Amino acid sequence: MSSPKKNPGWAGNTGEYELTEADVRGTAFVGKRPLEGGHPSASATYPYMLAAKDPEAPLFEGPYLERFEKILTRYPKKRAALLPTLSLAQEIRGYVSPETMDEVASLLELSSAYVRGVTTFYTMYNKQPVGKYLIQVCTNISCNLCGAEDVLKAFLKETGTALGEISLDGNFSVIEAECLAGCGFPTCVQINSKYFENVESQDVGELLRTLVAELSIDSVKEKGDE
Amino acid sequence: MGYPYSHPSEVSIISKHFGDPGARTLDGWMKNGGYDGLKKALSMSPEEVIEIVKNSGLRGRGGAGFPTGLKWSFMPKDSGKPHYLLCNADESEPGTFKDRELIRWTPHQLIEGCIIGAYAIGAEQVYIYCRGEFFEANQVLGKAVEDAYEAGILGENIFGSGSTIELTVHAGAGAYICGEETGLMNSLEGKRGEPRIKPPFPAAAGVFGLPTTINNVETLSVIPHIVREGSDWYRQWGTEKSPGTKLFCVSGHVERPGNYELPLGFPLRKLIEDVCGGIKDKKNLKAVIPGGSSVPILSKEQVESCLLSYEGVQEAGSMLGCASVIVMDENTDIVHQVTRMASFYAHESCGQCTPCREGTAWVTNILKKMEAGQGKEEDLETLIELTDQMTGTTICVLSDSVAAPVQSSIEHFRGEYQKLLNNGGGYD
Repeated sequence: MSSPKKNPGWAGNTGEYELTEADVRGTAFVGKRPLEGGHPSASATYPYMLAAKDPEAPLFEGPYLERFEKILTRYPKKRAALLPTLSLAQEIRGYVSPETMDEVASLLELSSAYVRGVTTFYTMYNKQPVGKYLIQVCTNISCNLCGAEDVLKAFLKETGTALGEISLDGNFSVIEAECLAGCGFPTCVQINSKYFENVESQDVGELLRTLVAELSIDSVKEKGDE
Repeated sequence: MGYPYSHPSEVSIISKHFGDPGARTLDGWMKNGGYDGLKKALSMSPEEVIEIVKNSGLRGRGGAGFPTGLKWSFMPKDSGKPHYLLCNADESEPGTFKDRELIRWTPHQLIEGCIIGAYAIGAEQVYIYCRGEFFEANQVLGKAVEDAYEAGILGENIFGSGSTIELTVHAGAGAYICGEETGLMNSLEGKRGEPRIKPPFPAAAGVFGLPTTINNVETLSVIPHIVREGSDWYRQWGTEKSPGTKLFCVSGHVERPGNYELPLGFPLRKLIEDVCGGIKDKKNLKAVIPGGSSVPILSKEQVESCLLSYEGVQEAGSMLGCASVIVMDENTDIVHQVTRMASFYAHESCGQCTPCREGTAWVTNILKKMEAGQGKEEDLETLIELTDQMTGTTICVLSDSVAAPVQSSIEHFRGEYQKLLNNGGGYD
């Protein structure tokens, strides 16, 4: 029986498994994320939360229009495309404003009030703008038992923000999340589209510095490669 | 094998390729006997496939433990309407982290199970409703679906059988209640994920008002193996009432947390002490939640004799649920953890039913007040009465789920609550 090995960021390299981060995350298998959505049956699975956000961007153009049209083909009723469409809108704009809800409503021939009712039901739709990185710290039971509240405090301290606010530099928003289904690898933190597992409060500073360094990568390149 | 740790007690069927990136690809899956189960199923009649699953005694792995073959047999024959198979991949029960592993390591295992299930119930369309937060796992699954379409495993005339089955991956948007089957159906239709009153049951009127079967990721992942190897083979593990193996998600205060695939009926104590290497830092055990946050907490004494089968955990005083074992050591602040769970349910209540909408918030407020040292002795009775009124009075069981941790913790750890009253409460 080998002894446990801590591996902040992603679980797996415990000494029993010799895996790389790409092995665990499946990045090589997935390859370049198809902006136009790839096969229609998979088109609804590709929304991402990106650091680059453009609240004024049109809905939808170019490859995003293609992806939207593919999504529409997968359901017998147009209304069923609502959740994936809102996710796609959020990928581009970073949050779902009341105006975005109205636009999505007219694209899917629904009333604005109906779309508002649905959007506000789901936590993954940001109803307000968020920082370039949205940091969601699980504080539910399994993570909580293993120090999640300290991890949350460390994120708030290191980013200098209050819960739910955007940091002064615009880089971070930190919120408390409900169980992210990474309970064996506490504390589980979701940052934009990525899970970071086995995070302890002393790891937080370095993690944030890495994230800031990644921001200097050309945002256009980032959109394509993520 | 278990992931990220393994143990010799394990029986690896669905977890055989955890930690094996080679099995993720279509080629890798095929090399390991992948899609043989599907080919065999397609050579049989749908009724014969249902019969194998019925005989295997497989019970739904999403928490309720309903027999899968029986569920499939409820689907109407020759209804003339389109049928749907839904796969519930909206894993969000606190303590549960098995479905994400199944999806990211063996997406083709799940796709194969979905196609067999769809064939058995006469569905031409499958939706996998995947938790929205699982960006990486969803994209692994999406890529596997694309590959399956390209290889003629999905779409028209699968393996030349004349059967057409379409499969679409649908990402959710963050709502615990969408893991409830009818809430999931409403969500898939583009509505708020509010559970529906039953009847009608999904087999009569499910998603889009049409006959629907809904199964958990783990249930569908084991189907190819059962069809390929037969029901007797599967029954060699487990107990009479709980045949087969199950993924156990162990979290909390153990040395080696993770997923372990074990025969049902495995002793809980052995799981903690032997398989998981014991309590972290050699501390003593205080309590265990054996099936996710919605089931009653077991005291140390109850853990001693508890066997991890559906009937065994019930005998011990709780429920197996989705086998999400949350282990708490002697230093655990039970009241704090119960308060955290209650506030989770208050956050996730969909708000349709008054006992749940009001009750979850009220319970949370009382618990927070107690934690802050402002509680009164009668608050404990109020909590019990309140949660009694929240049980069996609502459309779905989210409301009942609050009663489980609250009532069991007061039963086993009343002293911890009282201590907060006597010393004025409050935490350092």
